[in-house]
Amino acid sequence: MTHEEQMRAAALAKRIKRDRVFLNNPVVMQGLGLAPLIVAAATLKNALMLAVAVALLLTPTRVVAAFLSKFPLFRFRGLTYALTAAAVYAGVLAVMTRLYSAADIGLLGLYLPLLCADPIVLKRYERPQRERIRTALKKGVITTAGYVLAMLLTAAVREFLGTGCLYGHALLGYSPLPIASLPMGGFIVLALLIAAWRGVTNIIKRQMALGVKQQA
Amino acid sequence: MSEVIASLGQFFVYMVTALFAQNAVFTRGLGVSRLTKIVDDGTDTLTFGVLLCCIQIISAPLGYFANRAMREFAYRGYVRPFVCVVCSAVAFFVVLGAVVALRRLESARHAVAALPMATFNTCVLGTMLVSATQSFSLVQTMGFAVGSGLGYVMAVLVVDEGMRKLDGERVPEIFRGLPVTLLYIGILALAIYGFTGHTVTY
Repeated sequence: MTHEEQMRAAALAKRIKRDRVFLNNPVVMQGLGLAPLIVAAATLKNALMLAVAVALLLTPTRVVAAFLSKFPLFRFRGLTYALTAAAVYAGVLAVMTRLYSAADIGLLGLYLPLLCADPIVLKRYERPQRERIRTALKKGVITTAGYVLAMLLTAAVREFLGTGCLYGHALLGYSPLPIASLPMGGFIVLALLIAAWRGVTNIIKRQMALGVKQQA
Repeated sequence: MSEVIASLGQFFVYMVTALFAQNAVFTRGLGVSRLTKIVDDGTDTLTFGVLLCCIQIISAPLGYFANRAMREFAYRGYVRPFVCVVCSAVAFFVVLGAVVALRRLESARHAVAALPMATFNTCVLGTMLVSATQSFSLVQTMGFAVGSGLGYVMAVLVVDEGMRKLDGERVPEIFRGLPVTLLYIGILALAIYGFTGHTVTY
């Protein structure tokens, strides 16, 4: 492989790694944030509420924790990220109670407060390098987008299979696979979706690599 | 004497329930992301399991007393995760101190590296939240915490062993890794569901 080809391959790998929405989706490729997807995201309504919560929680947590990590007092990164997420959660719940009724929020059960300890929010602490605030903001938004996409897709499939409905509207007069609404069905449906997603991304990555080779 | 026996009985009932019928991983999906990472990375499951159980045992009573103290507080739902994370943080420093004190620094490094993962995860927070929202007594809380910790470790060991057998050429490429792990957990969860006949409330 020539130097130019190596450079192009490295640039492609970087491009794939940065695409956290599709090619390097946090759920599909890294298995982050699985608990709410498997249990609570059984309907599109639940998934939408979780998506709002993640959108409000993930990026602010990452930005504030990135800022705090600059100070020696916050050298325990795991603790800093977890406490920041839990502090931000109070604000998230305040917004959620304005947007949704208590009964709707109750549908999420403990999976709403659990977001404070979910790896989708806290994962960054595992890397020892300090994150710049601008990078935290950018990556937080992209990761949120990827997570929300995977969540909505999973919830739509689970709701359709489990109840024959989509966002509460009946499409079929029966439930094709009632177990899809239950946690064990969540594991199986998510596994199949991830496999399908990975299959598609593998094809796309191969095509991209071929394109790079032809350009060279 | 009969009260002690009754309390012990209650402790074991909640422990066994949390270990099997309400296993954190198979019934509530708690800590699944962490579990798949541990299995994939080949992290020392024994060290991780011991640390997680220690964190559960220390943080559970703290969480119980903290939640009891704010029972009358109108905004407890807003601050409950923060309070629980603070309880986990206390347990984190206790275990950190014990690990460093009991073992030589070089050998403790491995445990110290795994400690944040064993502390700040959905299994620990989820156990405290379940105990708080379902108004468990102290004995019930302790039984549930011990059972949850042991149940999580059992799930890690079962999945780890299963993955060793499933890690081969016979598994289609797109299913290798995370998808086959989730399928395996799903089938085990289905078996538990078949055994107990009901799903847990969340």
